[in-house]
Amino acid sequence: MTRYVVGKVTDLASGQRRIVSIEGRSIGIFNVDGRFFALRNRCPHKGGALCEGPLCGTALPVDGFTYLYGREGRILRCAWHGWEFDIETGQALVDPHVRVQTYPVTVEGDELVIIVYRDC
Amino acid sequence: MVERWLPRDARFKGSLVVAPQDPVGAAQEIRRIGSHPDIVQVLVSSGAQRPYGDPFYHPLWEAAAEMNLPVAAHLGGQGGVNSNPTGCGAPTFFWETHALLCETGMGHVASIIAHGVFERFPAARFVLIECGIAWLPAILWRLDADYKALRKETPWLKRLPSEYAHDHIRLTTQPLEQPRLMEHLWEPLADIRAEDMLLFSSDYPHWDFDDPHLMRFPPAWKDKILDGNARELYRLPARSPHLEPKENQGTLSLQAKPGRGGSG
Repeated sequence: MTRYVVGKVTDLASGQRRIVSIEGRSIGIFNVDGRFFALRNRCPHKGGALCEGPLCGTALPVDGFTYLYGREGRILRCAWHGWEFDIETGQALVDPHVRVQTYPVTVEGDELVIIVYRDC
Repeated sequence: MVERWLPRDARFKGSLVVAPQDPVGAAQEIRRIGSHPDIVQVLVSSGAQRPYGDPFYHPLWEAAAEMNLPVAAHLGGQGGVNSNPTGCGAPTFFWETHALLCETGMGHVASIIAHGVFERFPAARFVLIECGIAWLPAILWRLDADYKALRKETPWLKRLPSEYAHDHIRLTTQPLEQPRLMEHLWEPLADIRAEDMLLFSSDYPHWDFDDPHLMRFPPAWKDKILDGNARELYRLPARSPHLEPKENQGTLSLQAKPGRGGSG
């Protein structure tokens, strides 16, 4: 496990994102309403820059023939082919077997820290 | 048919023909006749004014599911009041048209899955008759790929299009496509587990009929395609040669082909 300081907390305001490079990995860090999330910036589908895609909501699973929009700001959608991921867990909405790597983000003093485990 | 043909032989089963352009009338007809023990499916043409998943048709699907009857679409009926045989316009020659009539089958498969007919009516089954089978793997691969990207367009779906197809859609084999090596037909079909989805049909006595004596299905699939899949779909009695009347046994042993080993 390695800690990486990626900047000051104040550098990443709510609603903003940054792409950083850690040990050759491109990682996206998001501030969503004061909560921080970090994900590998590589879509497991075809390798697109996932963390540069829209952070949005989606049509929630429904039983009837209708649309129910929800989870605004919690869905990361790849700009290449539209695959949707839960920003917190990295889970692909459409396929339980597909997940993008996520990393814990902590705030230490005024620093933003990403924790990377070996081989992740 | 109900009065004259179905009583003649227990192996005769009937299709309930409805006019899909009047879905409410079709639903009434399905409920009127559908409980007859020898009526085993609802029948429409594959030529249609709009694809069969459209909510316009849901009264028809609802009635068919209620009566536990598959809805079958038979090749034909394109043009006239219905849509063109192909999306790019009317073909010119008959053989050209005939080879391409399967295009409407593809449209129905996509529409029925996308509109969630099998979520809304879990008992619903769709049978495509005479629309070919070789295209099915390619279409299901495409549907799965596009659904994964655009899931949010149809949030009522809970499974992949190919999974709905495997459990709810059946295709009849005639006219079976003829590649130079038949294994090239079966290999992609194996990928979508089509051995559970295919039903042998002869189309006898049409000019392009398939002779059951000349068919070369993969040995491991033969029993399902020629017999088991149809029995399951149409709820026919299980094949039990030892329970057959003695005088039929000789005939049965020669009849491993067209799924007709019924109780005679």
